[in-house]
Amino acid sequence: MGGPPLAASAYIAAVLLMAACLAVLAWRTYPLTNNSPLADNDAVTLVVLGVLGVLGSTSKEDNVGGRIGFSFASIILLAAVALIGPLGAAAVGAVTYLMVFEKQRFEVRVFNLGMTAAAGAAGGFVYLMAGGSTEVSAMGGVSTLMLHVGLPLAAADVVICLLNAVILSGIVRLTRGTPMRRFILGMLETSGPAYIGYGLIGFLFVILWVPAGVGPASAVLILAPLFVARWAFVQYGDEQRARERTLSALVAAVETKDVYTRGHSERVASLCDLMAGSLVLSHQETEALRFAGILHDIGKLAIPTRVLRKADRLSGADLDRIATHVASGVEMVRDIEFLSDSTDAILHHHERMDGLGYPAGLRGEDTPLLARIIAVADAFDSLTTSRFHRDACTVAEAVAELRERAGTQFDPSIVAALERGLVRHPWEPTRLEPALMVTAGRAFDHDDPAASDLMAGLAGSEQAP
Amino acid sequence: MRRRVRAVPLETLSGAFALVLTLGALAVIRWRLREFPTFEIRPLLPMTGVFLVVIVIGELFRVRQEASRHTAPLATAAALALAMTVACPNGTAVSYGAPLVVAVTAVAMVLGLIPSLVRRRPIRLTDLANSLVGITIAAVIFRELPISDGRTMLELQAGWPADLLALVMVLICAFALTVEVLLVAAVRAGRSQAPLLRTFQDEFTAAFGLTAALSTTGAIVALAERPLGVVAIPLFLFPLVLTQFAVRRQSAIRRTYGQMIRTLSRLTEFGGYTEPGHASRVAELSRAIGQQLGMSEREVLDLEYAALLHDIGQVSLTEPIPGGATVLAAPADQRQIAHDGAEIVRQTGVLDNVAVILEAQTTSYRQVRELGEDLPLASRIIKVCNAYDDMAGSRPIRARRDAAMERINLGLGYEYDPRVVDALVRVLERGKN
Repeated sequence: MGGPPLAASAYIAAVLLMAACLAVLAWRTYPLTNNSPLADNDAVTLVVLGVLGVLGSTSKEDNVGGRIGFSFASIILLAAVALIGPLGAAAVGAVTYLMVFEKQRFEVRVFNLGMTAAAGAAGGFVYLMAGGSTEVSAMGGVSTLMLHVGLPLAAADVVICLLNAVILSGIVRLTRGTPMRRFILGMLETSGPAYIGYGLIGFLFVILWVPAGVGPASAVLILAPLFVARWAFVQYGDEQRARERTLSALVAAVETKDVYTRGHSERVASLCDLMAGSLVLSHQETEALRFAGILHDIGKLAIPTRVLRKADRLSGADLDRIATHVASGVEMVRDIEFLSDSTDAILHHHERMDGLGYPAGLRGEDTPLLARIIAVADAFDSLTTSRFHRDACTVAEAVAELRERAGTQFDPSIVAALERGLVRHPWEPTRLEPALMVTAGRAFDHDDPAASDLMAGLAGSEQAP
Repeated sequence: MRRRVRAVPLETLSGAFALVLTLGALAVIRWRLREFPTFEIRPLLPMTGVFLVVIVIGELFRVRQEASRHTAPLATAAALALAMTVACPNGTAVSYGAPLVVAVTAVAMVLGLIPSLVRRRPIRLTDLANSLVGITIAAVIFRELPISDGRTMLELQAGWPADLLALVMVLICAFALTVEVLLVAAVRAGRSQAPLLRTFQDEFTAAFGLTAALSTTGAIVALAERPLGVVAIPLFLFPLVLTQFAVRRQSAIRRTYGQMIRTLSRLTEFGGYTEPGHASRVAELSRAIGQQLGMSEREVLDLEYAALLHDIGQVSLTEPIPGGATVLAAPADQRQIAHDGAEIVRQTGVLDNVAVILEAQTTSYRQVRELGEDLPLASRIIKVCNAYDDMAGSRPIRARRDAAMERINLGLGYEYDPRVVDALVRVLERGKN
């Protein structure tokens, strides 16, 4: 990818400069005297916290599913704020990200280092300004500890959290173009609650270290339950990935018997992912959508192959039979708890905006959002895959076809989202070998938009008395 | 039969033991109150009250899905902290003994049971009893056992630095919890007829993380009570709340993973390849046999998944086998199906162990005996169970079941592993009772 753009480099330099200024300020405000940062005892504390910070940041890959996960480094940083003051906190923050074991690009490392050091120093100042004490050992009593350690630490926590979000939003704005405001709000929403936890645990850490007199050993004691929690979260993440891979692999295996549907589910799932990005779905919705994409046609297993293979002259009964695949699909996966958000999307992915779809004939926005997304992805993949009677459409042709049907069959806003997604992620039509199609024979493709018209007409004529 | 008899008294015994413990503790407290007027319980009331409430709350949030192993982490940690407490809120040393710890914990456990009793939900008395035994051990070691010159650790610790005290507390708690795990394993081994040592290893490994978290939490709550008083109890339990949350999610996703495999294993049934219910019956039988033959929990799980998916290879066939009964297919076809199934499962990238089992599921036992081939036990189990279920059918009447066993016995030692067949006979015996 090469180096970062010039603006980003300048920004990183500015962050480093800010961190350096804050560190110097801390040095000048709290010179080396007995009670101040970096005195005898504090040196030990600094080393211990630094080592802990480095250890804590080693496996940062704990961000499970975008929602949970926590960083030990943040807890250590807060403890440093109260135990060794602004300069010490800045040092701990810097060391933590300087020494990260995993391979990182140089500029990423430097940026993280600058950001965390600045946040540590700023947190340290806020702690002292809010009446925080660095002489924790001399204190006793619940109210004193709350007033001179707990509250100032909470203030420092808030500042560190905000400063992180703001500094990060800048670099994201420069490299990816995400609006700063939206990024900051998003980050506060996702990691804000975690910072409450960091604050509380940081406080416990300080209490155990000094007033309870346990010293450096308190790190082991306080972090043990958290390590177990993180271990469980990591396992959770592994299992979550395992779940998805197992699901898609087994579904793909069952689908292989039909040449035309081979890989279809997988492709629909990736198309859904591609659209989820431009539709601003929540994490949970994105996941439910992906599962629904994988499973949307699973109900076809219950349809006899002779019906699926019949290319011409499908009777009304045959079409009805094919239409049942959405309900059978839901039936098949009903017992899987984590798919409960996906079943509606599976059931309604053949509804149409004009209300002529199946199974319920829902109109417009009555059809669940996820189902409308799958409908578009489904038709798009069908159009861009070879059929016995036509070649695979190009992406432009397929999009034109969908746009023509926007409003009657498809939700226009979702067709637009697909177009936006396709700009960022190019799509290759799926061309099947002619020989393969000869052996597979002719087959009715219920996902083709034309089929939707055929079945819509049928459903309409049946409803009319 | 013989083992069934052994299992029941173990559960009753632990229950009765817990009851005796509680009554004994109450009696001792009563006696001390009468004999020694200086034993003043009033200053202890706020602290014991908070502990009582926290333990009750912890009991209410008992993790239900996992069968055993520290199912109420918050309650256990709070009770351990009560056992380790050295100072009162106002900073004065406390000198209450183990009986108070046992009594408070027992009362809290009973109170925590009330909602389950009201809603008529099943109660796991053995879990509670085992947990109480663990707490008692910790309290007795720390508060009653004379270490040097007839003085207990509670009396000796005044001169210790805080980090040494912390270490001692953590070790005592960890020891007590390990004993609890041993008891839990004994109960479980009795239930599933699995070997005790193997079950203990499973339980110990599975509970290791939580044991560590609970021991340290018990110690830090007790230590933090010195500067913070009762406020320390809820505050310092907070990290454990995170732990419990994480462990809950983890066990929930494990459960749903199994659920998913079970459902997916039925896809071949929907596609008309296999007979409905066959895969789940084979899985159930295989599981029971695996446990009885002393496989570890992880191995049993792989075995169960492999059994559920053992026919997935049939989707590669152009024409389904009549009734899906692979035992009647030609050996070459059987091997092809097994191979295709293994390939499909390997595609998931996360079930490699299962793929290995599937690959060998049709291999004759003879290969082991004569050629010294390394054939996974799980594959041998699936081979036997699959053959049995294919021949005995979904609701075997006695005659069909006997016929199936007879055919399997014909292939004993040649097709089928005699040890597995023996276990099958025992499992079927047990099912009949």
